[in-house]
Amino acid sequence: MNTWSKALFPLTLVAGLVLFGLPGCASKSVQSEGETATVTPPPAKGPQGVNPNFPDTSLANKDASTGLRGLDRTPSEERVPGSGSMVAKMDPSQGSRQTEDIRSEQIATAAAGLRDAFFAYDSFAITDDGRDALVKDAEWARANPNAKLKIEGHCDERGTSAYNIVLGEKRAKAVRNYLVELGINANRVSVVSYGKERPFCSEHTETCYAQNRRGHVVVRTDK
Amino acid sequence: MKFSGWIALSLVLFGGLAGILESGAADVFLEATRTDFQKIPLGLVGIQNAGGPEWLGGRLEEVLKADIRRSLVFSLVDLPGAGIKVRDVGPDPDPSFKGAAERGVSVIIWGKASLKTGDKDPEANMDAYVYDAGSDEMVGGKKYVGSSSVVRLMAHRFADELVFRYTGEPGIARTKIAYVSEQGAARELFVMDYDGYEPRQLTSDGFLNLMPRWSPDRRFLVFTAYRDRQSQTIDMLEVATGKRWTLAAFGGVNITPNLSPDGNFLAFASSHEGNSELYRLDTRTKALQRLTTHSAGDLSPSWSPSGRDLVFTSDRSGGPQLFLMSADGTNVRRLTFEGEYNAAPAWSPRGNWIAYVCRTKEKQYKLCVITPDGQKRVQLTTGHGVDDSPSWSPDGRHIVFSSILDGKSQIYMINVDGKDLERVTFTGVHNSAPAWSPAL
Repeated sequence: MNTWSKALFPLTLVAGLVLFGLPGCASKSVQSEGETATVTPPPAKGPQGVNPNFPDTSLANKDASTGLRGLDRTPSEERVPGSGSMVAKMDPSQGSRQTEDIRSEQIATAAAGLRDAFFAYDSFAITDDGRDALVKDAEWARANPNAKLKIEGHCDERGTSAYNIVLGEKRAKAVRNYLVELGINANRVSVVSYGKERPFCSEHTETCYAQNRRGHVVVRTDK
Repeated sequence: MKFSGWIALSLVLFGGLAGILESGAADVFLEATRTDFQKIPLGLVGIQNAGGPEWLGGRLEEVLKADIRRSLVFSLVDLPGAGIKVRDVGPDPDPSFKGAAERGVSVIIWGKASLKTGDKDPEANMDAYVYDAGSDEMVGGKKYVGSSSVVRLMAHRFADELVFRYTGEPGIARTKIAYVSEQGAARELFVMDYDGYEPRQLTSDGFLNLMPRWSPDRRFLVFTAYRDRQSQTIDMLEVATGKRWTLAAFGGVNITPNLSPDGNFLAFASSHEGNSELYRLDTRTKALQRLTTHSAGDLSPSWSPSGRDLVFTSDRSGGPQLFLMSADGTNVRRLTFEGEYNAAPAWSPRGNWIAYVCRTKEKQYKLCVITPDGQKRVQLTTGHGVDDSPSWSPDGRHIVFSSILDGKSQIYMINVDGKDLERVTFTGVHNSAPAWSPAL
């Protein structure tokens, strides 16, 4: 590729991926450079939910050097670059915004007096106690028809982080399904799984584990 | 030279023969360090202090010794016991090195280090030399120069040079481990050197970032983020710049992203079409392909080194078990049958083992390894507690994982033969989800 086609290549990709992006520019590059056509053509538009513009992580055409220069019989000088420059600075403002959002959600949930559904080990079946709690929650939801609810699925620390996210979603969905059975519109109830990543209690005891296996019913305060 | 050549040749012959005998699987790569493999005896004379703080030489020796021990290629031998001088050795080999091979020493290393004091950013130096007892000559050395912040890195580089010279494979001394660390109520991404030093925080979202995995070029981490606390996205972060992309934003669970060894595909689990299913995103064309269709949960895809197969967790047969399939979603078959709970698989970069979390009869969550043909299974850790998130070193000889062995969740490493359990993180209340980087 010459310099011109190198400069245009990323543009062509972007143009193809973002449906309405730079059509004039793209067609020009295809006309002026026959070899551009040999590149795998990107789809007109990525599937919904997929970002069409993240960097290619393919190893192809990348330098596979080990960074080692080998041992020399007559040792030569080798400068060791700092690893400190490898890691970027962060922006902590995002963190404090989240903390405020969480607090307002907790206040609204406590004021509503909502109750959680607890689960047995390895299980996502609603228990009798869970049903009683959710009947009360459904009463509150009927009395507050504009409120939106979020069900957080939580697990105890036993088992893997990944599988507990899936188990937590099953628990959250079981709670939502029961609320829907009780007449609450499904559109008012969202679900999210936190697996074992936001425990209510951090001891390694059965009492603590039981606290962490729950569908936590929360009043949403986000817009 | 002659000696190292023989070692390299015998490694290849031995590894190749053993590989053929042990497994019919095509996805198995040669392995230099079998349990019965004779490690190369290496002696460290010392790193002499040639100016600078008192700790300098000793610290570099410590780093080098730990790197050499973890390489599993060399064994550290006692030099005075072999009649070899360990004091006042200059750049030239000491006459006592002659004939060291007959006294059971194959390689001798030594060097000196200095650090200018007083300067704002003092310059550090480490000179290091290698004597090959097989050919009875000094075969080479290095003169490292850099800022005081890279002192440990100099020793790591030298260790990797040694491993590369004697095995032809990249060492692991300059690898990194990404992980998740609790900061207040949040869990954020961090990265540290493979030996637990130099931890650095990568995200500061104030909520949850989970399960990082490296891109094969070590440039990016892919992970699960909760951008707005209501939903999960698959995100990617450029480690050097902090630049961030959301790769996939569907509803529901979006977890366990894992890039193929060639970087061309991202496999992950998402429940946006009902329950947790596996998907494959082409990182070049951004085309998305669904790999599994089952009413049970499928998650935690891990690639074989060739990129042709995936191992994953599924609860389609009741509790979670490991399954294998081709990378296009065909040819699904169950791999684990022992125990009611097997999850979080990680395919070794050598191809010969799959590490995972197995629940024991005593209901403890421990580390197991199984061959991809299911013929051989070994439980690596024992005792009380929850082990989680195994990830392989790029040389396929170690597994890093999290465990609550000492009360709080911390990060540990262990050899694939179950030896040398070593704690890696010592600070913080909760460190988890380690991901070992590829080698340089």
